[in-house]
Amino acid sequence: MTRTLRELRRYPSALAGLAIIGLLVAISVYAVVAIPYGEAIRLWNGGEGVWQRTPRNAWPAWLTVFPGVHLSRTVVVSSTGTPRREVDLGSGVRQITMALPFDFPYQSFPQELAVFWDTSYTDKAPQVTLRWRRPDGTETALAEIAVKPSDSYRISSDQPLQQAVGGRPEVALFADPRHPDQPLRGRYELLIRGFLFEPASHLDAQLVVYGQGYGLAGTDGQRRDLMIALLWGTPIALAFGLLAAVGSTVSTLVIAAIGVWYGGWVDGAIQRITEVNLILPSLPILIMVSTLYSRSIWVILSLVIVLGVFGGIKGNRALFLQIKEAPYIEAARAYGAGSLRVVLHYMLPRVVPVLVPSFVTLIPSFVFLEATLAVLGLGDPSVPTWGKVLEDAYHSGALFVGQYYWVVEPAVLLVLSGLGFTMLGFALDRIVNPRLREM
Amino acid sequence: MTPTPSETFVIENLRLYFRTHQGPVQAVDGVSLTLGRGRTIVVVGESGCGKTSLGRAILRLLPRNVQTYSGSVWLNGVDVMALPEEQFRQQVRWTQLAWVPQGAMNALNPVIGIGDQIAEALLAHQKADNPLSARRAVEEGVGQVGVPLDFLDRYPFELSGGMRQRLVLAMALITHPDVIVLDEPTSALDVLTQANIMNVLKTIKRSTDTRFILITHDIAASSELADDAAVMYAGQFVEVSSADQFYREPLHPYSQALMASVPALRGDKPLAAIPGQPPSLINPPTGCRFADRCPARFSKCSEEPPLFSVEGRLVKCWLYEERAHA
Amino acid sequence: MSAVLALGRPSRQVRDTVVRVATYSATRLFALFITVVVAVYLTILVANMGGYVDIIKRGEIREAAMMRVQLDPKLTFLTPEDRSRRVEDIIRLDEQRLGLNRPFFPRSLVYLRDALQLRLGFAERMTSDTGSRLVRNIILDRLPATLLLFVTAELLLFFSTLLLSLALSRRYGSALDRLVIALAPTSAAPAWFYGIFLILIFASMLRVLPYGGMVAAPAPEHPLAYALSVLQHMILPIGAMVLSTFFIAIYSGRTFFLIFSSEDYVEVAKAKGLSSNVIERRYILRPTLPTIITGFALGLIGTWTGAIVLETVFNWPGLGRALYQAVGLFDTPVIVGTTIIYAYLLAITVFVLDILYAWVDPRVKVGLEGRR
Repeated sequence: MTRTLRELRRYPSALAGLAIIGLLVAISVYAVVAIPYGEAIRLWNGGEGVWQRTPRNAWPAWLTVFPGVHLSRTVVVSSTGTPRREVDLGSGVRQITMALPFDFPYQSFPQELAVFWDTSYTDKAPQVTLRWRRPDGTETALAEIAVKPSDSYRISSDQPLQQAVGGRPEVALFADPRHPDQPLRGRYELLIRGFLFEPASHLDAQLVVYGQGYGLAGTDGQRRDLMIALLWGTPIALAFGLLAAVGSTVSTLVIAAIGVWYGGWVDGAIQRITEVNLILPSLPILIMVSTLYSRSIWVILSLVIVLGVFGGIKGNRALFLQIKEAPYIEAARAYGAGSLRVVLHYMLPRVVPVLVPSFVTLIPSFVFLEATLAVLGLGDPSVPTWGKVLEDAYHSGALFVGQYYWVVEPAVLLVLSGLGFTMLGFALDRIVNPRLREM
Repeated sequence: MTPTPSETFVIENLRLYFRTHQGPVQAVDGVSLTLGRGRTIVVVGESGCGKTSLGRAILRLLPRNVQTYSGSVWLNGVDVMALPEEQFRQQVRWTQLAWVPQGAMNALNPVIGIGDQIAEALLAHQKADNPLSARRAVEEGVGQVGVPLDFLDRYPFELSGGMRQRLVLAMALITHPDVIVLDEPTSALDVLTQANIMNVLKTIKRSTDTRFILITHDIAASSELADDAAVMYAGQFVEVSSADQFYREPLHPYSQALMASVPALRGDKPLAAIPGQPPSLINPPTGCRFADRCPARFSKCSEEPPLFSVEGRLVKCWLYEERAHA
Repeated sequence: MSAVLALGRPSRQVRDTVVRVATYSATRLFALFITVVVAVYLTILVANMGGYVDIIKRGEIREAAMMRVQLDPKLTFLTPEDRSRRVEDIIRLDEQRLGLNRPFFPRSLVYLRDALQLRLGFAERMTSDTGSRLVRNIILDRLPATLLLFVTAELLLFFSTLLLSLALSRRYGSALDRLVIALAPTSAAPAWFYGIFLILIFASMLRVLPYGGMVAAPAPEHPLAYALSVLQHMILPIGAMVLSTFFIAIYSGRTFFLIFSSEDYVEVAKAKGLSSNVIERRYILRPTLPTIITGFALGLIGTWTGAIVLETVFNWPGLGRALYQAVGLFDTPVIVGTTIIYAYLLAITVFVLDILYAWVDPRVKVGLEGRR
């Protein structure tokens, strides 16, 4: 074992593979620690409530390090904390004037504009008038609306406003009149004048100027920060691959050993089952089960193992057949070792080292299998996996609209994990496989 | 060296070193021998002394990691070592220099019939004019080794070990080569079959003047066939002499120890073992390579002895320095 | 079979061989048939999940019936009791049509018998290009496209990797060898994965190749133009398949041939002075032919099963994509039918493989017991 590890050092590909695996494990640990599982699920499936303040389809913000790449960031201004003027107009009516100022220093337009209200009243909703003041002093009237609790005013989707300003509001309200294709940088203000009709009612507002760039990984079509899926996809992928590989390898081993040892009809039956397994189209069966029955990741995992168990029997069988005839097996039987003991104690340990390389290489194939199912739309919908992200991207037409990051990010992680294990597995194979060693 | 009469098969200073991670393995380190027409020489030595590599070096069956391959092999007046690969293949391989490999179990192509494989050698070197004459030659050759003719259409897996060994021998003989190298021809067989094969070899030896180089660790079995004997130790020949003289009176301390370890049919001979291990071929010790295990070791042994010529025999030992000059 | 000599095998021996191979084939055929039956039945079981799907179907029938009765203007005058009686009538007829009024087990056996005869029933929502709802027609419509793409790809890959790996095995340790070893891990990703990237690069960014489909839309009239368009659309999917298997195939092949080149009988062949061509053909390829053929068959099987996602990604109108569509529509007959066809395809591949094996491996040809 130690000899193997020492020899591994001679293969740069193995070291690279180990480094990648180490990186993935580190990411997994970080993900599990930084964002507990329950929290991750809640965030991922949170919907609009959780992701209100994040832009939709935003590119990774750090890309601005590249020259010529300009991505505006999200700016959030809240009315709590900014000064406001309240004038009592009598009979319970108050007039509030607020200004929500913010600086806009970016070289590209915002993606979207929205105002979120926080208000309470019994019968009569407050009425507000909104105006937009730009750095050069010009003001535009936005709208006059009634405000409901937990409501929002989507400036960008305001049709009359669109017609009034002659274009998309998030562009028109920011455009530099001298260079209309660039935003005017400087201090903007959202002016709110509202009428509150009840003494107990209050009004607060939050302006969100959605940027085009967000975070390390960008966001998807549902405004979700992709980092969550990318981070949490790592331990899930590793766990899935590992569990499936372990499950199927161990089962295959045991079954092959039993078959070879007991011979006779046991062996014959196992061989017939192996043939059925060969002919049974695994992927269609998996598809059927996930469509018709359950898409839970545990069900899929178990099924994958069950379908995969009899696949590797042939190779293991050959190995065990060789070992069975070995003299020390005869010796063990001579001193009266029971069949099960011979199988478990003598045959299995001999075979295990030879199987390690194929085990290592098996892991990424299961990771990709999960991704395959996800891409077909059959993945576990509540669990954030790389495959799911890929599927979301593909079905939102990310490739067609040029949203490359959405596809590239999970793909890179998939490739990395695949490469890491495969490189290690191949190097191990060259060390452990006795026939290859002679060369 | 001086050109030798074309009757004699001469090997001069053959060297074969392999490249490995731990360093060069000096498997064959300056071996020379002379073999007259119709004579058989047996090369004995323990495992790891380099005798299999010697066989491969003679036959030019080299692995990928060869570092040094030098010397001369004179056959029919030509130094075949100097021949380019293609010429060697066409003119020397099998027609002049053939091989009976160790463990005939796997020496035969499993998917081609026996007869076809034997005939292949004939047809590849144009020794037969047409398939019919080839067939006749094959039948004759197979009869010579005592195998029934109906086995010719069978596949190797249908035959027993002894049968296969005989057929491999027939295959080597089919082109009537000048030299045949046999590498442990009977090691993988049971005693009865061994005796069988030995008898076959004896019969053939009587009826042809093929030269046999018999490489083996089994001194006893080889004694019946050998005209000459050579002892190999750590990649070198330490003794070369006629078989009679060798079996009666081995000179080199290693040869003596080998003889002492072989049981005699009659009498109560106490068997002696040789203590220690043969030296590694990767960095062979300077001086006499047997010195560590030699009971007769003395001070001069720290220097490598040459092959002394003693009464027509060759011995690589300082003990015979005076007798050689006498 | 010998190509060196016509050693005049007695005709009795030839007849013996034929009989033996024929018997072997028949045995294998029978065993395979049993296997297919089991596989198909398992598929049927899974497809019905022991009646779970029945429940869904019943629900759907009920809903559809209620909608029909509600929306039919001729029935608005009915009393509520009459209306619900109508609904029950329709439900009963529908359930009878779909066979839901009989218990599952006998129904599954009937399915089995029909499925084995390739009477795959009617699709629920999908139709073939000619408008037929016969599942068999739907599948036959799509099958040629799948075969075209995957058999072409597999043949291409097989022969090229065979030749290249044989050549590479002669160059152990060379720079080319090291390059192939370094690139072998590219097999980690499946073909569809590379497909997405090929589309990204060549269709989305560079715009030189189509995004997907089998032929340009609208399809060219002239047969030659049509064929060329199909070829153009085949480039990326085949490219994806090649990327994911090319280097690993060459690597495995080269390792395989390296191992078999160090066999004793190859050394003997070299010592015999045979030319390297002859050695390669008769001493390396010929003995390993069974394993090579197995490799080819397994490769083919591998591509069948990978077809589903690849066809989906490339929008290739084949069986795989049909299965995917059926899944989306919950069209169980099509799902089951396609899976059964896959099972048959796999069984045929295995069978052909076995026959070839029998013919090529003398141990089978002659009989394991020998003729001693």
